[in-house]
Amino acid sequence: MTAIAPPIPPLALDTPGALSIRGLNKHYPIDGRRLPVLQHIDLQVQPGEFIAIVGASGCGKSTLLRLIAGLETDYEGQMQLDGKPIRGPSLDRGMVFQDHRLFPWKTVFDNIALALKHSRLDKAHVAARVNEHIALVGLQGFEHAYPHQLSGGMAQRAAIARALITQPKLLLLDEPFGALDALTRVRMQQELQRLWIQQRSTMIMVTHDVEEALYLGDRVIVLEPRPGRIRHVIEVGLAHPRERNAARLQSLRQEILGQLLSQAGH
Amino acid sequence: MSTFKKCCAGLRGLASPLLLVAAWEAASRQDASHAYAFASLASIGAGLRELSGSGELWLSALASLQRTCLGLLYGASLGTLLGAGMALSPLAARLVGPLFHSLRQVPILGLIPLLALWFGSGEGTKVLIVALAAFYPMALNAVEGFSQVDPRYREVGRLFGLGPWQHCWHVLLPSALPSLFNGLLHALAFAWVSSVGCELFLSTGVGLGNMMMNAEAGARMDIIVIGVLCIGLLGYAMNLLFSRLSQRLLRWRPLRR
Amino acid sequence: MRRAFNGQPLLWLLSPAALLLAWALAANSGAFPVQLLVPPQAVYHSFTELLVSGELREHLVASLSRLGLGFGIGAVAGMAFGTAMALSRNVEAFCGPLFHCVRQIPSIALIPMFILFFGVDDVFKVLIVTKAAFFPVALAACEGVRAIPRAYFEVASLYRLPLRSLLTEVALPAAAPTLLTGLRIGLSRAWMVLVATELLAGDIGLGQLIEMSRQMLRIDLVMVGVLLIGLIGFCLEGGFHLLEKRLLRWKPL
Repeated sequence: MTAIAPPIPPLALDTPGALSIRGLNKHYPIDGRRLPVLQHIDLQVQPGEFIAIVGASGCGKSTLLRLIAGLETDYEGQMQLDGKPIRGPSLDRGMVFQDHRLFPWKTVFDNIALALKHSRLDKAHVAARVNEHIALVGLQGFEHAYPHQLSGGMAQRAAIARALITQPKLLLLDEPFGALDALTRVRMQQELQRLWIQQRSTMIMVTHDVEEALYLGDRVIVLEPRPGRIRHVIEVGLAHPRERNAARLQSLRQEILGQLLSQAGH
Repeated sequence: MSTFKKCCAGLRGLASPLLLVAAWEAASRQDASHAYAFASLASIGAGLRELSGSGELWLSALASLQRTCLGLLYGASLGTLLGAGMALSPLAARLVGPLFHSLRQVPILGLIPLLALWFGSGEGTKVLIVALAAFYPMALNAVEGFSQVDPRYREVGRLFGLGPWQHCWHVLLPSALPSLFNGLLHALAFAWVSSVGCELFLSTGVGLGNMMMNAEAGARMDIIVIGVLCIGLLGYAMNLLFSRLSQRLLRWRPLRR
Repeated sequence: MRRAFNGQPLLWLLSPAALLLAWALAANSGAFPVQLLVPPQAVYHSFTELLVSGELREHLVASLSRLGLGFGIGAVAGMAFGTAMALSRNVEAFCGPLFHCVRQIPSIALIPMFILFFGVDDVFKVLIVTKAAFFPVALAACEGVRAIPRAYFEVASLYRLPLRSLLTEVALPAAAPTLLTGLRIGLSRAWMVLVATELLAGDIGLGQLIEMSRQMLRIDLVMVGVLLIGLIGFCLEGGFHLLEKRLLRWKPL
């Protein structure tokens, strides 16, 4: 679990992951009517920043992530990654889902290798890259296990490795640890933090766990439901790696919980 | 607007059957040799009137149905008993299982000549064939149903100190019921097919199969078409009846499978 | 199947052996006419005779090639049609009702009609087998393709999988469990229907061997035929189970 991963070469990305969202609106058609899901979202994400998005269920946080990933393309407003508009899925944006979404008929190795299908790498290079990333998430020895043989935490590690292997400028995490038990979740948060410090790619994580958001995020964005709007942006302003029970995190936690609970009250 | 659209969408489904019927009718009007193979709609209608007027159709259908029900009754009850026995007693499963699994591989219709030689080609043999056809799927599903009883429910039964019969009635049987009904549906389909099938082979007696074989000998395509439609319709109707019945009896189950 | 085979091998053999013994004792006791209850050794003798004369091979080749051809055509056509029905609303709307109507008609019931259409030659037998295989495979293909979770396609689009990979590495494995079940059902139905058609009409084939022997009151030959039919059915199903297990070894037990 705490295996020390070999250092991987620094990424040579020319413009590493600046996301700009302006005036984003999203509707779902329901019975011929337009139901607003996201309303006027403005967000500027710096390269290498870790953004955590929290909000009550149904506030459209997953939809926002799917829009950034390009899985949904029907929206109003502007979304740009490094100045290029987002029109569909692309390999410079990786995504990790709450359900790991590994293919059950592929081993861990093959699942991760699948992400390199588009690349022109030869077999030996693919294998080297995959093994490197398996080591990165500490899954050595499980290369040839099928997903059903893994625990929830291990499957999620494999999913993270699959998302990272394409070296995305921007990694999107949709409640990646939501289905894990409390202890595993804490471990995975530490691992993710380590990965983020190593990789230095931009990450945006959606979660309903305020503590997790504060522990990992440079900025925490609080969404308000129906329709989803940005209610508050909180600068955490602590260096990484962080102390889990730092006084500042505790006070911010009270503040955010208060905001979320007041939403639920009305 | 939307209802009109829905109507149109429903009508699209009629296009291919109508086209088929039209092509059939057109083929029947080509020439004499075609008319021999493709009975015209008019002659099918006339055949239907003739068969129903003489009562042959009703008698045949009734005979086939009766045999199906009788065979199903025997086959399904024995199948349930054997399946329950194999599921609940490991010894029985080991003793009888191999024989059961090897015998069930013989296609039922392939057994007809042998059974006909042994037991004659009368109604008794036919019922035996239908019962055999119903027996295997029923037994298989009964094994599945009774061996998949959730151990948690067994524990509840033990906690309340249920006796063996109470245990059977309140815990085992309801748990196995979905599989049993599934087995019954399969058994019904097999029983119907083999009931008609054995009539095709054993030419004595009455039934839809006999009616069709006589028609084949006399090259009466109109009667054959009526027979095929009857078999399809009756099979469908029985299936519908049984699945409605099972839905009603299993309404305590959540709909999601 | 699996349940039947674990446990001690001796116990496994017990019930078939007991049946064989009972058969031998009853047949040799003289209580039944030998013409009706042939002793096992006589059946075995007839079997070797047929085997040596090469007659059995002819029957086997005829039956199995019909099965292979008919099942092959039916399965391929079924997969194509089922996939089309799952993917296209128009195909479903136009052909679905007819498909589900014809599906209700047992293949056996179509035998007299097909005989009038195509005669009693191989064409008729292969076509009936094709029909028997087509419907379960088409139904399974349709359900299998429909049941592929959308989430898998999303993952595939995130990694920009090429179409070929999408089809062979995502869509096919996802639909495989349902499809394989449909193929297995189709194969066993095809075998049953083929035997039936051979019993009713034809000059060669295992079913015809049984029928001719029945007319000559040669119960020993009838039993050879019946046992062989069972054995082949057993091998087909067993082989398919092994194939399924090998292809679906990624599935949790």
